[in-house]
Amino acid sequence: MSDNKNKQADLPRVGFYICHCGSNIAGTIDVVEVSKYVSGLPGVAVSREYKYMCSDPGQEMIAQDIKDHKLERLVVAACSPNLHEETFRKAAAKGGLNPFFFQMVNIREHASWVHTDKGAATQKAMDLARAAVARVRHHQSLEKKRVPVDPNVLVVGGGIAGIHAALTLANAGKKVTLVEREATIGGHMALFDKTFPTLDCAACILTPKMSAVKSHPNIKLWTYSEVEKVEGYVGNYKVKVKRKPRYVNEDLCVGCMECIDACVFKEAKFPDKFNQGLGKRKPVYIDFPQATPKVVLLDPQTCIQLKTGKCKKSCAEVCDRKAFDFEQKEKFEEIQVGAIVLATGFKAYDAKRDHQYGYGRYPGVYTALEIERLVNASGPTSGEVVLRDGKKPKAVGIVHCVGSRDAKSNKWCSRVCCMYSLKLAHLIKEHSDAEVYNFYIDMRTPGKGYEEFYDKLLSEGVHFIRGRVSDVTDWAVTPEEEGRLVMRVEDTLAGFVRRIPVDMVVLSTGLEPQHDAQEVRRRFNIGCGSEGFFQERHPKLAPVNTFTDGIYIAGACQAPRDIPDTVAQAGAAAAEALALIDAGFVELEPNTSHVIEDECSGCKSCIPLCPYSAISFEENKKKAIINEVLCKGCGVCAAACPSGSIRQNLFEDDEIFSEIEGVLAK
Amino acid sequence: MPLEQKVKYESDCDKEFATWVTSQTGGENLRHCIQCGICSATCPLSLYMDYTPRRLINLAREGFKKEVLSSFTIWLCASCYACRSECPKEIKVTDIMYMLKRKAIEEGVFPRRFPIPVLAREFSRMIFMFGRINETLLVTDLFLRTNWFKFLTMTGLGFNLMRTGRLSLMPDSIKRRGELRKVLDAIDAEEKKEEVK
Repeated sequence: MSDNKNKQADLPRVGFYICHCGSNIAGTIDVVEVSKYVSGLPGVAVSREYKYMCSDPGQEMIAQDIKDHKLERLVVAACSPNLHEETFRKAAAKGGLNPFFFQMVNIREHASWVHTDKGAATQKAMDLARAAVARVRHHQSLEKKRVPVDPNVLVVGGGIAGIHAALTLANAGKKVTLVEREATIGGHMALFDKTFPTLDCAACILTPKMSAVKSHPNIKLWTYSEVEKVEGYVGNYKVKVKRKPRYVNEDLCVGCMECIDACVFKEAKFPDKFNQGLGKRKPVYIDFPQATPKVVLLDPQTCIQLKTGKCKKSCAEVCDRKAFDFEQKEKFEEIQVGAIVLATGFKAYDAKRDHQYGYGRYPGVYTALEIERLVNASGPTSGEVVLRDGKKPKAVGIVHCVGSRDAKSNKWCSRVCCMYSLKLAHLIKEHSDAEVYNFYIDMRTPGKGYEEFYDKLLSEGVHFIRGRVSDVTDWAVTPEEEGRLVMRVEDTLAGFVRRIPVDMVVLSTGLEPQHDAQEVRRRFNIGCGSEGFFQERHPKLAPVNTFTDGIYIAGACQAPRDIPDTVAQAGAAAAEALALIDAGFVELEPNTSHVIEDECSGCKSCIPLCPYSAISFEENKKKAIINEVLCKGCGVCAAACPSGSIRQNLFEDDEIFSEIEGVLAK
Repeated sequence: MPLEQKVKYESDCDKEFATWVTSQTGGENLRHCIQCGICSATCPLSLYMDYTPRRLINLAREGFKKEVLSSFTIWLCASCYACRSECPKEIKVTDIMYMLKRKAIEEGVFPRRFPIPVLAREFSRMIFMFGRINETLLVTDLFLRTNWFKFLTMTGLGFNLMRTGRLSLMPDSIKRRGELRKVLDAIDAEEKKEEVK
């Protein structure tokens, strides 16, 4: 010990602080013992324990000690650096110390929470503390870099989430580019007839927002377009967008739709995707009367001119604005933005996967989205609830949880199906006066006015049968079942199995991630949860942030959610983007790598390894060069460099080696 | 033991039954039931019931008239009103029980030898006749109609009750029975008129 103490003269003076975290740490680890032990380590000038280091008095104590004891290095043993590293860096700065002369030791998540043996946990805390004290001596004084933020924003997805986020940002004076894959914005909400629980018409509340997007001077609307490539970093993204050919010049077309009447196909005969295939359309079409932008487009699969080049082109002839361009090719445009809001939405579960319900086999079986179109006044039947053969159904069964709460398909509750099933039950009853049965597992109506809506449906005489339908069959066993679809279910509240004959079955399909969610997340360098929805940074405290700074998520691309929640989240994502932009700059962690130019042999082995494309090769000098703004500090290059000429701040060799020696020393 | 088919077909249901219940005084809130089961939990007699009150409400709502009217549940109800006061949807369960009892008697589908419906019928018959109850007569009548063998085992108790003056052998009656008859007839006539409407 006397030896150690002698050496202390030339070692930097270290202050060590250990936190009780209430009983989170002190309940398992003997903090007094650890503090005593560390005080005997070489170079340690102060060693203290305190109930809550992160509290104001805790921070104040550190700042005061730095001044009083002339501390040159700081070590805090507490929780994860993800939570409080920034807090203690600030405390160091307050005491007049460079904030990077600090090392944090995680003895909560890494020791007290994961061990039950108190003695061993205390020993582990001592080992980790010793390592940090050994490492922190080698720390260098570092500065955070500031980079400017581009004030423009990209919003991906033109559903209600994207529309709301774009409008919020545009109203705040930011230039927004809204990119939508389909020919019109509106997303799923444009398909709906009414919205729960107020039953106001979806189009009536959505279309004003759609036209606001179209006419907003700050919004550039690119429909029928997809994001191809994203490069750059927070505040400075370079985005390449593919604009698919409509074969109609968007700037010339005014949406008069005379071309549709003039098309050589006199009858519409191709399945209409917008109406879920229940209606028909021509090769030249517009999705629905309020489509935004109101521009027709050609379907290359069915248009004779595009397929064979041998058509009268009567559509183009009738167009007095000469908007048709059969030679149109896809083109790419590049934009520069500071922040990106992803609002790419969901995909409805494919009802064919649950073959027991006979979707695609029995014409009387429909998906909920098909019924939305069927009850809609501008839908294929002008709002009449009729079967495919034109007959009115006498009884309708609505099956909840199709593709939800099922280990064989999707484990999650899709959250909106109970409410939309209630809404459809109401609309079907209103439009057809049929007997309506709801087959549910649990009735989930959490939301403002939602339970009241359920109560209203109960009083309307809709049947509620608690049980999952096992199958839909046309095999009749009683005369009344003849020629109808029979639903077999255990009425778990009545206590017996029932066979219920109906004419129409509605499958309330759940919400899934978009089919290309994985590709999209890779393109934008964000994460997905195990179920495939985009991963938020924190489920409670950062629900619209992602692990990539400057990229925000809103709406059903993050998890199934209804319109009110989606709009709220879109507003939150817009606010987060504004907070980033209006700060004007971002501070970057200084944990970046740099090349020691004299030692680099120019072997280029680091260049393909960098996941952020931050390394380039300077041909004149034949040396690698790292863009510190792009570097995220992953350390791959530093580890891979064969000549050891790449160094990483905060992970210098002497720092790492002394940390290892410290943890192994006894 | 012979196996009995338990599956229910829609032809087993009377679709109008729920509408009938909601049209009666006390039955208005039937459809609001969310099947929480607090009625069954709070019921002091649900442990003897073939269908718990929660299940009975569900059956009534779904139109299982036969099951509801021939159940023991409606007769076991002691009208303590615990369910009525606990129900989160303010369903008048006790009133519905009475309504179903009346319907069961009307349609003659109540359990024949079950003492409670017999007691109810004999009780009201005696009131209509004498304007007053004679316990000895009522008890004897009840036992003979439901379980006369039990009557024999109860003679000791009966004798003791008689000795302490709790059971009277004297027939009891009000004065001016004719006027009671008139009142009851007037009510009957009023009810018939209501039904015609």
